[in-house]
Amino acid sequence: MNFLSLIWLILAPVIAALIIMFPYFPNHQVKVRRFAKWFASFHFIYALLFLAFFDPGMFGMSYEKELTFFGISWLKSLGISAKFAIDGIALLMVVLTTFIVLITLFMSKMHIRSKHKLYYSMIFLLESALLGIFCAKDMFLFFVFWELSLIPVYFLVSQWGNTEARRAAIKFTIASFTANMFLFFGMLILYYYNFAVSNVLTANIESLNMDEKIYPLWFQITVFVNFLIGFIIRIPAVPCHNWYPDIQSKAAAPVNIMLAGILLNTGVYGLIRFNMQVFPEIFKLFAPVLMAWGIVNIIYAGCLSIVQNGIKKMVSYAQIASAGFIMIGLASLNSTGFNGAVFMAAACAIVYSALFVVISSVQFRTKTTYITSLGGIGQVMPKCMYLALIICFSAIGIPFLIMFTPKLMVLSGAMLSNLDQQLTVKIAAFIGLCSIIISAGYIMYFFYKVFCSVLLDQWKKIKDLSPQEVSILSALCLIIIYFGVYPMSIIQIYQSVSSIILDVLQV
Amino acid sequence: MSEIVAAYMPEFIITVFIIFNLVASLFFNTYLYKLSKWFTLLGIVLAIASTFYLQIEPEAFAFHNTFLTNIYTVFFKILILMAGFFLTLLSRNMIREKRDRAFEYFSVFLSGILFAMCAVSAVDFIGLFVSLEALGLSCYLLLSLNKNPNAKQLTFGYLVQSAVVSSLFLFGLSVIYGMCAEFGFDKISLYLVNAAAVSSQPQILLTFSLILIMCTMFFKLGLVPFSSWLPDTFEGASYPIGAYMSSIPVLACFAVLSRILMTFLHYTYTIKIVLALIAVITIFLGSLSLIRQENLKRIMAYSMSVQSGIILLGLCVFSVYSLSSVLFYLFCYLFANTGAWAAIILLYNSAKLENLDELKGVIYHRPYYVIAFTVILIALAGLAPTCGFVAKMYIFSAVARSGFIFLPFLITALLASVILIYGYWRIIRAMFRRIETDIVIDTSVISSKFILYACAAATVIICLFADKLIRFCQLVAYYM
Repeated sequence: MNFLSLIWLILAPVIAALIIMFPYFPNHQVKVRRFAKWFASFHFIYALLFLAFFDPGMFGMSYEKELTFFGISWLKSLGISAKFAIDGIALLMVVLTTFIVLITLFMSKMHIRSKHKLYYSMIFLLESALLGIFCAKDMFLFFVFWELSLIPVYFLVSQWGNTEARRAAIKFTIASFTANMFLFFGMLILYYYNFAVSNVLTANIESLNMDEKIYPLWFQITVFVNFLIGFIIRIPAVPCHNWYPDIQSKAAAPVNIMLAGILLNTGVYGLIRFNMQVFPEIFKLFAPVLMAWGIVNIIYAGCLSIVQNGIKKMVSYAQIASAGFIMIGLASLNSTGFNGAVFMAAACAIVYSALFVVISSVQFRTKTTYITSLGGIGQVMPKCMYLALIICFSAIGIPFLIMFTPKLMVLSGAMLSNLDQQLTVKIAAFIGLCSIIISAGYIMYFFYKVFCSVLLDQWKKIKDLSPQEVSILSALCLIIIYFGVYPMSIIQIYQSVSSIILDVLQV
Repeated sequence: MSEIVAAYMPEFIITVFIIFNLVASLFFNTYLYKLSKWFTLLGIVLAIASTFYLQIEPEAFAFHNTFLTNIYTVFFKILILMAGFFLTLLSRNMIREKRDRAFEYFSVFLSGILFAMCAVSAVDFIGLFVSLEALGLSCYLLLSLNKNPNAKQLTFGYLVQSAVVSSLFLFGLSVIYGMCAEFGFDKISLYLVNAAAVSSQPQILLTFSLILIMCTMFFKLGLVPFSSWLPDTFEGASYPIGAYMSSIPVLACFAVLSRILMTFLHYTYTIKIVLALIAVITIFLGSLSLIRQENLKRIMAYSMSVQSGIILLGLCVFSVYSLSSVLFYLFCYLFANTGAWAAIILLYNSAKLENLDELKGVIYHRPYYVIAFTVILIALAGLAPTCGFVAKMYIFSAVARSGFIFLPFLITALLASVILIYGYWRIIRAMFRRIETDIVIDTSVISSKFILYACAAATVIICLFADKLIRFCQLVAYYM
């Protein structure tokens, strides 16, 4: 399997971006778009090959590869190297990333009207940065990609969004950079404390594991909290969630799909990779806090979702509420909860990007996203309505659709969890169970307001979905149904990894 | 003679070319004014070539042990000469406007480089004082070349303040001489070692006088108590002079500052905290001032101040590791700063653009110019795919390594660097504005364009091949 190189997987989008930006590449929207779509399709197939040759039973990292520059590894004298490797969780995220990029590119045709070269190259740069986050085996390499992902997001939101997008984008960028500085601070002191303890200068994530070494508790907590601040903003959890609905409501529709699909999963991934794997002891200490935090997320964001007046904001808040389930699953510290949380992250990406595909079709036809000016569109767009119905049912957690299994796993994981604060945990799990009602409330309210209420006069002439949109949405619906019926096909990819992580946690 | 060949060759070559330029100014000033540029470039290239023939192992001394050449000084001399090479190319439009002054301009330009190199090599306070004063005077002469009447007034402030800190230097020097009756670095440090065995009182006085001496460096670097001259002077200066002021004195002063700190003050703990405090306040105030500026030259002035603060934060922990990180940072700063100035000079030369809001919509006319400028600004901000990130990581990791007492300074500096990122981001944002303008950036000036693209490429390439350079910097820091 020598043709499967993670370096090519990560660098290929950069190369595509450079080809598009090349002065002699025709500055014609059809040609640029076609190139981008073909490229993304091949890239998705290439990522699928990684899945096909992946050995799910293998413990630890596979496809390990180091990027060297003429035989010199990057920053070897500082113990930092450009090493890439993936395990089951990362592989799931990688395949998801390439898939969402493909969907985004197929939906870009209608909404992107200017600066095509910049747009498609930025999409590819963002893809590369996100793949780098999932594949990096080195802490500082992870941080490089983590910061790199902000710049394309800024451009994607600010250049093709509505008139207020610029402000929202800069707000997001500044907030993220501030959070990144805490992350960077945590990484720096971890890097040197590890050097002081073990006398090996390294930033390799696997060798930073804290379980065997003696670190003072206050130090571990400091580093843990710094990492937590860095990642919790991306998830996003409640007090730091404000940027997400803000940029989603102002960005262009295809960018919404991209952000909802993958950007948030990087936060979950970082939480698993660093906070869980590097600081198992402190994670145990913080687990009840995270669980309570998740509950707050579900209820607070869920309630906010109902009162929004824009459909994009509604769906964004719904996604923040779903992120609460991921936090509960991770904090329950057993295999059911953990597997459910990772599954939930993947399911959220698929379902919410599918919802944004629906919104993008609606926005293209009506040129509005305000809930008061929409209504009854189902009468003129029946195909869209039925496909959206499946997606909305899935977001609620109806059985045999993708979101059902992870929600069930997360909540039963929380119920079975043997954390110290038993009563708190049980109450939390029960509240989580009840909060499914809220989620049904906001999703169905969204569906009713957009598709079912009285049809306004100005929407009587709009057309139903084009064949391309139908095929995209039905592909997404098929995925939703398939993984709803066979959830094990996703879970078995990362089952062995989760058992390793939970072994370290010793619960 | 042999010691001059072994230790003084680059300075000697530069001196010869200063005299060349002066003599040539008598004969052909207006007609063959372009010759001055080629003379200067030739001199700098020859000087760079001669540094490879200097005796660095063992260390070579000249002028009765007051002038040192080792791998550390050679490193800084190469940096200064490289900056001089770039700045000579950037001066093209300046000498075009002042054809009759071209040769004089380059002789002063070269003498600034010469005295910067002498200051790097000086291991004697008298030599150091003379070199720094002469460097300051060269800068003042270059600043006063601007025809704008306002500029004279603005740059006069620089001269007055420079005189004040020079007197502080002299006062500190007189105290040191009163105590040790010596000017040489090695003898004063020997005195310190002997005095430490007896009592602690003379050391406090000596530390105080050394701080007074360091004020000169703080002034030239634009660190906090002495940063008020920066924006006005830069605004009054011509563009190439601004680039000159923000690279050559900075390189020289950091070489001197690290030598003084490592030789005399490595034993005091309080001074570390004081320096860290100065650094953090500089970063914070500089960044906050930077985000409010509209004039590009003022932005670059505050940028220089903040970058000096970051370097000082790395310097204040006194270890070989931190010194190597400082050397690496200076190397990256050279390329990023020169590239940014090249981009601004291109803007000014083509359309007399000076302010941020005039940059609107440049992306529509010159996308590649904007991309190169963006890469350079990203490097200055210390973000990912450029050498700025590696340099920032290296310097902050050196601070993190040196003990928990520095962690509050570190986190403050990191948070302040977010403000700095926003400051540079404003320039990028302005260029990407969606407003149609009729600015046409004249990129036919090959020299400035070459420097812009070369620096943008260099920042990315250095990031990829940073390992070799870091090893070399560690070697240099070890042999200092």
